[in-house]
Amino acid sequence: MRTDAPSVPAKGVAQAIPKPAPRRRSPALRRAFPYILLAPALAYLLVITLYPGLFAIYQSLFVVKFLTWEWTGFGNYSAILQDREFWAALGNTALIGAISLTLQTVIALAIAYFAYRDPFIRGWRIVYLMPMLFMPSAVAFIWKLAFNDGRVISDLLGRLGLIEGNIDWLGSIPLARLTLIVADVWQWTPFLFIIFVAALQGQDQEIEEAARLDGASWPSIFWNISLPMMRPVIVVAITLRGIDITTMFTNVFVMTQGTPGGATETMSYFIYRQGFRMFNFGYASAASVLMLILTVIIAQTVVKRAFHSGKK
Amino acid sequence: MAKARKSRGESMLLRYLVLGGWALVCLLPILWFLSIGFRPRTEVITPQPIYWPTFSLDAWHLLMSDWPIAKYLRNSVIAVAGSVVIDLMLAIPAAYALARYEFKGREDIGFYILSTRMMAPAIVAVPIFFLFKTLGLLDSVWALMLIYAAINLSLVTWIIRSYMLDIPKELEDAARTDGAGDLTILREIIVPACLPGIITAAVIAAIFAINEFLFTLLIASTSNAYTMSVALANFTGGSDGIIYNAIALVSFIAFVPILILVILIQKHLSRGLTMGAVKG
Amino acid sequence: MASIHLQNIEKKYGAFVGVQNMSLEIADEEFLVLLGPSGCGKTTTMRMIAGLELPTGGKIVIGGEEMTEIDARDRDVAMVFQGYALYPNMSIYENIRFPLRMRGIPKAEHDARIRQAADMVELGSFLDRKPGALSGGQRQRAALARAVVRQPQVFLMDEPLSNLDAKLRQSMRVQIKHMQRQLKVTTVYVTHDQIEAMTLADRIVIMNKGAIQQVGTPDQIYSDPANTFVAGFIGSPPMNLIEGVAQNGRFVAPGVTAACPGYVQGRVTLGVRPEDCHVGGDNVQGMVYGVEPTGDTTYLTVLAGTKKIEVKAAREYRSDIDVPISITFDPAHLYFFGEDGQRIRGAA
Repeated sequence: MRTDAPSVPAKGVAQAIPKPAPRRRSPALRRAFPYILLAPALAYLLVITLYPGLFAIYQSLFVVKFLTWEWTGFGNYSAILQDREFWAALGNTALIGAISLTLQTVIALAIAYFAYRDPFIRGWRIVYLMPMLFMPSAVAFIWKLAFNDGRVISDLLGRLGLIEGNIDWLGSIPLARLTLIVADVWQWTPFLFIIFVAALQGQDQEIEEAARLDGASWPSIFWNISLPMMRPVIVVAITLRGIDITTMFTNVFVMTQGTPGGATETMSYFIYRQGFRMFNFGYASAASVLMLILTVIIAQTVVKRAFHSGKK
Repeated sequence: MAKARKSRGESMLLRYLVLGGWALVCLLPILWFLSIGFRPRTEVITPQPIYWPTFSLDAWHLLMSDWPIAKYLRNSVIAVAGSVVIDLMLAIPAAYALARYEFKGREDIGFYILSTRMMAPAIVAVPIFFLFKTLGLLDSVWALMLIYAAINLSLVTWIIRSYMLDIPKELEDAARTDGAGDLTILREIIVPACLPGIITAAVIAAIFAINEFLFTLLIASTSNAYTMSVALANFTGGSDGIIYNAIALVSFIAFVPILILVILIQKHLSRGLTMGAVKG
Repeated sequence: MASIHLQNIEKKYGAFVGVQNMSLEIADEEFLVLLGPSGCGKTTTMRMIAGLELPTGGKIVIGGEEMTEIDARDRDVAMVFQGYALYPNMSIYENIRFPLRMRGIPKAEHDARIRQAADMVELGSFLDRKPGALSGGQRQRAALARAVVRQPQVFLMDEPLSNLDAKLRQSMRVQIKHMQRQLKVTTVYVTHDQIEAMTLADRIVIMNKGAIQQVGTPDQIYSDPANTFVAGFIGSPPMNLIEGVAQNGRFVAPGVTAACPGYVQGRVTLGVRPEDCHVGGDNVQGMVYGVEPTGDTTYLTVLAGTKKIEVKAAREYRSDIDVPISITFDPAHLYFFGEDGQRIRGAA
């Protein structure tokens, strides 16, 4: 203790403290408080999700022609379930999504494996991030120009001696789908990469070191130790990415418009086309409701589990 | 020893082949697209692609004269910034409740908020269109602001919640015994302590809002409310077809600020993108 | 300042009882230490006094006013936390100022009081720093200053020293005791460290499984333990507790015999502190299990039957292991506990 410091604070100061009337919060208010904090956000989300959900269910029971609504009951649904275009859109979404997601995951894991211990990781990360930071509509134009309008891809493949002449990418079903997949993989592999690298960097170094002392090689450490430890992270990342892929719209809108013959029409584009190109709003709403049901099922199963395992 | 060194050298070669290769995959299309932005329109679509174009500011002059880029930029900024402000005001108290209070239904409410992120825009597109039509909000920047806020609210709430969970509970106890009430604690202790999370959430929400396409396309039915993202898609000169060099230039104008924002929050990016599920 | 009365307080979490039916009087200006193993309810008790948790039963009176359901913010108690709980975004100055601001103390007084509090803990030159830029000891002193600055009715300290290294802990201990005597503020201090409890307390409350085991001065707790829990918890190494049978003034256990008072009968536990055991004599016949010289003393572990008995031997005592050895107890310092663990006392 410093001897020159006043040994006891002046008592007079202590008495100057105003004594507020003690508060006693009612137990009801105490219990209600978290709900009060949540109320604005919940109200907002309910308006923007529950209302449209109910509206879509209601509207899906009508044939809507501009301003007239004509009751049809489940007419839209029975029509949709027999609509080959609907099933095609569902199949396209699943096929394009599955291939794209697989490619992204494999590429992201591979480059994350090579990058995370690299001294230049910060530089790599910024470079690899860049495609993700372009507006999706801009990315769609990049690839529309590269594949179709500018013929750059055909030209480059020709120079490598892989093909002769010019390929009409929108002329064939697999090639048209491929252009969508390339655009999606190019833009969104970074999303998975960033998460995988963070997970790898966050891993306990001691486990890796112990494995190395035990004589394990890097690939076997990665395969047998790092990858299993990353599992929850991989699940969360793939779930998030998978959900976004199933809503793919922008690339279809800009690049293919569903051509050729609907081979690249996704669910989102199907709903858009029915609603805002053909003005079959009741029909579009019925498709929305079906997609909503699918979403809820996926959310309740896959997502719930992913986000629980993602936590400690 | 010699063998070990050799295999190490080989693996280094492989590593840089892979890393360098992917860097080229990322960069070459971007650089090529940049070159599109600075070439005359006549050199964009040609029978043979031109890799070394003439330098030209045609696109820039076009943007400045024919295209109200200032207006689209302003629309983007107002709608995006406004939506982020709305999100933070709603999400911070909600995240605080989810992170810190024990109450009935907490898990379910939290998951409901999360699940709104899973909803495809197309599902709600038709009803939202009718809702805004009824409200007379079609073709307005305010409608976009409300929509962007709704799209990102779950993300912002979950990111901030994750950061709030990291704040030691003792801090709140200390503030309480020091005489602070719940809202004072939130304002003076919690918010400053999870500021990195709030900034991360704001940046990611802003990026998603800037990128939003489908709703903007539906709601901004005329160029009045166009944002950069949708204006791009409509950047076709009628019979002239798509004006690629101007599109390229505009996308880089949007790209640069986003890149800067992301570099600022780089450390938090993985945590933000997974809504807090993965700690970077 | 203030006295504290706890009347039959109780804290249940569902079926789990955190604190059961606890009554305690804490005198004005007293330094009271709640001591016990983790999970014994000592921290819960303190948090109920602070108002951070509400009891599920009973009454809490501070300074003559009933406070049972009053918010923590209005109880005028200051608390020091194990993790210091300094606000990371504020400077030390702002940290110390926070309670003054929250309690609406006139701005004009702030600066003088902050500096006075900081000087008390010798932190005057660190006021501009953020908590992150301070060492553990400095952070703890900043937390003390924040508690002191508003001159509360009661100080509550929740294991404030347990994150510090041993050397620092000792000097902080002295500083806390000095400050408490100076300020004469009623203090409740929670710890699991018996040295802290013995050195700081006017009275110690020993808790286990949510209930008080014994209340007393450090001397009473040490020399007159109420039950085997207290006996085994206090002292380093703790009291030897040897289970055996007493009959006709004789206590017998494998390898151990001792005289005992006539009223001690049946299955009992003999308690004897290591410093009341001496090499030689005839109370224990066993083997040397280990010898630990610590510099100023030597601890000897003797294996009698399957029981290990700790002996505080002479400083220069040395022995090989597995050598036969005999031990005597100081007959004036033997304690006997019944099957329920409670002390057996003669009819007074």
